[in-house]
Amino acid sequence: MRDQPNERIATDAIKAWKLTAQLIAIIPLLLTIAAFVGTYFFDFLQYWVGIVLAVFTVLEWAITILFIPQLRWKRWRYQIYDQEIYIQHGIIIVTRTVVPMIRVQHVDTQQGPILKKYGLATLQISTAATTHEIPALLEEEAADLRDQISELARVEQDDV
Amino acid sequence: MMSEPKRLHPAGMIFNIIQAIRHSVFGFLPLVLLAVGNDAWFYVILGASILIGLIIIFSVLSWFRYTYQLEEDQIRIEQGILIRKKRTISKHRIQSIDLSQNIIHRMMGLTKVQIETAGSDHRIDATLSAVTKADGKMLHDQLKYKKPVTVVDENEGTEGLKQEINEEVQEKDYPQKKVTPKALLAAGSTSGSFGIILGLFGLVFSELETFIPDRFYNQATEWLFSQATQVLIVFAVVVLILLWLIGILQTLIQYWNFTITRYDKELFITRGLLEKKQSTIPLKRIQAVGIKETIIRQPLGLASVYVEIASGEIGQNQDMHTLIFPLMRKKHIVTFLKELLPEYRYQPKELIKLPKKAIPYYMIRVALVPLIATIVIAIMFFEFAWIPLIVTLIACIYGYFQFKTTGYLIQNQQLLVQTRIISRDTALVQHKRLQSLQKKQHILHRKQGLATLDTAILNKFVGRHFIVRELRVEDVNQIADWYSYREKPL
Repeated sequence: MRDQPNERIATDAIKAWKLTAQLIAIIPLLLTIAAFVGTYFFDFLQYWVGIVLAVFTVLEWAITILFIPQLRWKRWRYQIYDQEIYIQHGIIIVTRTVVPMIRVQHVDTQQGPILKKYGLATLQISTAATTHEIPALLEEEAADLRDQISELARVEQDDV
Repeated sequence: MMSEPKRLHPAGMIFNIIQAIRHSVFGFLPLVLLAVGNDAWFYVILGASILIGLIIIFSVLSWFRYTYQLEEDQIRIEQGILIRKKRTISKHRIQSIDLSQNIIHRMMGLTKVQIETAGSDHRIDATLSAVTKADGKMLHDQLKYKKPVTVVDENEGTEGLKQEINEEVQEKDYPQKKVTPKALLAAGSTSGSFGIILGLFGLVFSELETFIPDRFYNQATEWLFSQATQVLIVFAVVVLILLWLIGILQTLIQYWNFTITRYDKELFITRGLLEKKQSTIPLKRIQAVGIKETIIRQPLGLASVYVEIASGEIGQNQDMHTLIFPLMRKKHIVTFLKELLPEYRYQPKELIKLPKKAIPYYMIRVALVPLIATIVIAIMFFEFAWIPLIVTLIACIYGYFQFKTTGYLIQNQQLLVQTRIISRDTALVQHKRLQSLQKKQHILHRKQGLATLDTAILNKFVGRHFIVRELRVEDVNQIADWYSYREKPL
């Protein structure tokens, strides 16, 4: 756990995350619009509410779209050994995880509509007590990894 | 070894009835209260008698249709009034069979048989609520010993010899440990359970309010408040002592004659004064051993020992873990484990502690909220600022003690983690039981060479995480190297 893992996730992950962030940013945008419209009709709403919301919307948009996806992608690394899976992620708190193959209970791949648009899939690794994810891998790569891990994990287990 | 399908002892009906009534009481209580409030006694009694009648009919029928049958190497259970359910449990899948008796069982010479299987699916497990003691023993022996005893038949000559060996096996001295009444008294008097009992009392009293006539209630409260403060204090002390005594009594009843025996592949516990309980803990299921010292017990050098078990309903209560010894002197734990669970070792002396630079993190984590409160209150009402200030100081001391307690130790294949939430908790985990391992660092950690360790084991529900915050980064790396299954780098 001294060196970071080698493999990176797909570069399209950044695009997918950006798109997700765009969609989420619609919520504060709608709230801002509602606030301005509301100010026009109701006396109790002051203009500054709308302005604060607008500032927040712009900041949120800028941070989650311009900065976070790149940083997140840069940090996300993984490596599959024969005996274990090694994952690193996190922007402020960097977490490095070791999951031994013999503790793996099952592996899933997952794909939502956004990931599907970019041909990506998320790999989910479950042990008896914990669940770990490698997000946004290329579809074929995720499927290959899933098969590879389930092959490697097929070891005789004594009660969990 | 085939046998006829058998019904439970007729007393099983009584247990069915009691259980059904107990389950339905809570559902109907609000309705009853509502009806009583409207003086509809007649309907309440009518409704209750219809309900009880239905329950009785239902219980008799379900007793009638419930049969069990012992076959070659499995037990077959059939049940259900309208929907017939058949279930066979193979002998090889059975993890444990426990016999337990409550008061009714003991008066009638009966026993309850609980059969537990290996899977995490509790629906596969079976409970026979009442069979005669002899039948219970027979079931236990038949299902427990994986190899049928009748095998020896083919060779007459060796039978005697085999028998002898069998007896010898049974007579082999298994390590056993029994709790003394004195230790139980100590356990009861240091248990924090009176807080819970206090809560229960409060609940009961607030409920009683609706039943006791208002006039009486008012008079009583008026009388109470008209007393001098001294009387009230004495009264409160008496109530507290009473609650404390109830707590002791409860512990005594629950853990009376607590005996733990180590067999080859399992731990076996019997306990209880009114209700005799047996439980079997297969060693394979033990995920970790823990030693817990509450703040009352720690200065007295006392601790309780528990195990974390993967799934299973062995404890059968909401407790996250199962006690394997209610209370003992801490210095005796080393020998206790050596005798009963030599797979685990406990050597608290050589713990690797946290570096000093971790102290601020531990203090700030608990003291942050009271600190903010102090600042806010100091700005708004300066003369009251001392109250949150004291809280902040206490929080700092608490944080410091958390820091002091935390430590770890690796010995061969075992990781020892000592932490404190309020009680000091020492967990012993084997390498193969750790499901995953994480090292976490934020920016300040990276600058200071600190890291947080997070590792998880499986227990009853979702898994328990052992988190050790702000270790030296080298220590975490070392633990990771110890944990890693990869071939060690040259």
